[in-house]
Amino acid sequence: MKALSRILLVFMAALLIGSAVSAQDEARSLRITFSWPNYIDPAVGSDFASSTSLANLYDTLVFPMGDGTVSPWLAESWTISDDGLTYTFTLRQGVMFHDGSELLASDVAYSFTRLKEIGEGYAYLLPAATVAASDDTTVSFTLEQPSGLFLPSLVRLYVVNEDLVRANALADGLYGENGDYGKEWLLTHDAGSGPYMVEEFPLAEYLQMAKYDGWWNAASFVPNAADRVRFIGTTETATVRSLMADGELEITDQWQTNEALTALDGLDGVDIKTFPTMTSFYYMMNNRLAPLDDVHCRRAVAYAFNYQQALALEWPGTQQMVGPVPSTVGGHNPDVTVYTRDLDKAREELAQCQYGADIASYPIDVVWIAEVPAEERFALLFQANMADIGLPVNVISNPWLSVVENTSRQETSSHIVTIYVASDLAEAGLMLQQRYHSSTAPTWQQNEWLLDPDLDARIMDALNTADAGERFAKYAELQAYIADLSPSLFLYDQLQKHAVSSRVEWTPEANSPVMGYQFYLPLIGVNS
Amino acid sequence: MQRQADALRRLGLFLARRLVQSIFVLFGLSILIFTIARVLPGDPARTALGARAPQETVDRLREEMHLNDTLPVQYTYWLGDALRGDFGMSLVTRRSVTTDIAEFLPASLELVIFAGVLTLVGGIALGTLSARYKDSWVDNLIRILSYAGVVTPAFIFAIIFLLVFGLALDWLPSIGRLSEGVPKPPLVTGLITVDALLAGQLATFWDALQHLIMPGVALALGSMAQEARITRATMADNLNKDYIAAERALGIPERVVMGRFLLKPSLIPTISIFALDFAANLANAFLVELIFNWPGISRYGVNAMLRKDLNAITAVILILGVVFILMNIVVDLVVGALDPRIRLRAARSD
Repeated sequence: MKALSRILLVFMAALLIGSAVSAQDEARSLRITFSWPNYIDPAVGSDFASSTSLANLYDTLVFPMGDGTVSPWLAESWTISDDGLTYTFTLRQGVMFHDGSELLASDVAYSFTRLKEIGEGYAYLLPAATVAASDDTTVSFTLEQPSGLFLPSLVRLYVVNEDLVRANALADGLYGENGDYGKEWLLTHDAGSGPYMVEEFPLAEYLQMAKYDGWWNAASFVPNAADRVRFIGTTETATVRSLMADGELEITDQWQTNEALTALDGLDGVDIKTFPTMTSFYYMMNNRLAPLDDVHCRRAVAYAFNYQQALALEWPGTQQMVGPVPSTVGGHNPDVTVYTRDLDKAREELAQCQYGADIASYPIDVVWIAEVPAEERFALLFQANMADIGLPVNVISNPWLSVVENTSRQETSSHIVTIYVASDLAEAGLMLQQRYHSSTAPTWQQNEWLLDPDLDARIMDALNTADAGERFAKYAELQAYIADLSPSLFLYDQLQKHAVSSRVEWTPEANSPVMGYQFYLPLIGVNS
Repeated sequence: MQRQADALRRLGLFLARRLVQSIFVLFGLSILIFTIARVLPGDPARTALGARAPQETVDRLREEMHLNDTLPVQYTYWLGDALRGDFGMSLVTRRSVTTDIAEFLPASLELVIFAGVLTLVGGIALGTLSARYKDSWVDNLIRILSYAGVVTPAFIFAIIFLLVFGLALDWLPSIGRLSEGVPKPPLVTGLITVDALLAGQLATFWDALQHLIMPGVALALGSMAQEARITRATMADNLNKDYIAAERALGIPERVVMGRFLLKPSLIPTISIFALDFAANLANAFLVELIFNWPGISRYGVNAMLRKDLNAITAVILILGVVFILMNIVVDLVVGALDPRIRLRAARSD
């Protein structure tokens, strides 16, 4: 009995010590839940968790601003050659990586080469180019053809520490003399110079980062910036709610349902923060399948849908899309045809459609993603709305992988697929390319199958225009053209929603809408 | 001495026979799962790299994974590597599946072993109590609770525990295997509680144990209810047999009758079902692991299936197959130890 008492006493003491350690660690710590996995290798990651991690672990040549432009960052200045092909950057001096070594122009060149050779993550955003470091602070990129997207896309060129990556690369790998290019090591470590550095990363659980006091821009840390940040890999509603209520979580992920957010909003000291994103919800109509291969039938559908009722199904403040790109991207055109429910116009369009007289004989399938149950309500609303013009609708749910598979071939693509699409950069042209260029037709990003060579040429011409004003004007024309074509239903621009503890001072709406930068940690304050 | 040698020889023969059988079972299982995983919709390389990855990158990955070859050729490559302990690269974690299994399997094992201990001790105790007080209120209460336990999925218990003990009462930690700031023990077995004890880190042990309670109990309750019902039913059945009446007539204390003469032979079906439950928990812990953010093999396996991570799917199912086979062998040995008639039959069949 005495022995048992002693053991219990030791346990109690241990518990007290453990609690004290935990309490100490909670000072100035910020915890956020994310959807997993999280790839922190700059040449691999590109989803939300990865982009957020990369933005905080690494620095880039330029930094995305709230107004869609970019500002100098690692690059103090740059010049562009007259032919628009060569960009020469002068780097800031004295920038230190997390291991204490200095960031040099050769690191930038290595990072670009590594990203393009691996070809994953954001590699597709950066155009083909040759890169050369002429000295420690000068690096030049020579493009194969002019590109208006090159400068904005540099916000995805995260600069890695070449020596550190080489030292940790496995000799056996896919990349010749570069072995595995350090991919395995960079799964759980960083080689960056950003405001935070990896402290611990158990792959399936969380990423823990510590504030980097040696950051070149340390003056821009808000005074109460978190000393330690933990990205937790869970979006499970009950778990998130429990963590939030216990004060073990400061910001929830963006995947909580409206019902879950309402419940979280009811907790003491928790508010819901919303801000616009570069993601929009589309009903992608297959322009090659009857009756949607007739523009008048597509317009009839667009006029018959009740957008206001659809918005009422979403979080308050959600706005209908204005044209084919999110309103947050640079070059968005607000003066395009916006479809609203008007049954008279819908019937007029239907009368002009070649299938109009016999529309009941052309039932259409609407496929929603089985993993996103909230989409069913929109599909049912669509079904009810289309009944008003006599168009029969079959509502079908399909798992995501089946949707990906089916949309990859024209013959298996459904009449309509309902999908959220995010733009990777704050550029309207990139979204237009992702959604309507022929190169994306065999992917889930485009169920429309426009396959219009003239449109393709116009999109590429706009993207290759180096002058921003001229480029944006071309984007505007393209948006007007596509809106009139009514290839899709443009439902709404998605609001990003998070439950946030009142201990947190965070203004994501002031940050760049580029994915990941809403959580730019130096600007997020945490009160103990 | 001779008898012991014979027993050992028979045990060796038994194990050898079962191991040979197991190889064929695993071979068949590997072909089956290898084929099924590859007929799921979607290109695994494209799924892994995303819609926007350049086609040449996707092609390179397809080539590396031999996805352009026929199924038999792919299987030959896979089998050759698997026999060397290389299950290929996971498309989700982007590292060796072997490394993933080494990291995630111990987490699940720790959870399932903890749940297994609770199941066995709780199930047998409740079953015995129920049989001992057959048809009394104690028996009725345990039977009702057992029914409830059997029909309620583990994830419901998990959510209830989380909301009650994690959220409302705040007695137990909600997620993970250790709290923030608690030092991890040096890696020996991968079971944090065991490693912490080996390293003498009592605070870590206590913290890890606290993290185990909610997921472990949630996982255990269903099996515990099942074991309790089976134990009770078998004991109640044996209770009416002549040898029990004879022992009672001889004046042997009821405690001894129950514990030594009734419980031991009644445990055979309980142990058999327990072994299957134990192995099944390893596979079925997905939702519990998800709710408690437990980095286990079950969650890893289901994520692999959702993302068509071919190598991970095949490896996880093979691992689960091995666990099922091992548990069956253990059951055969334990049942033989519990019941001399089974040993005798086995000896005669040799």
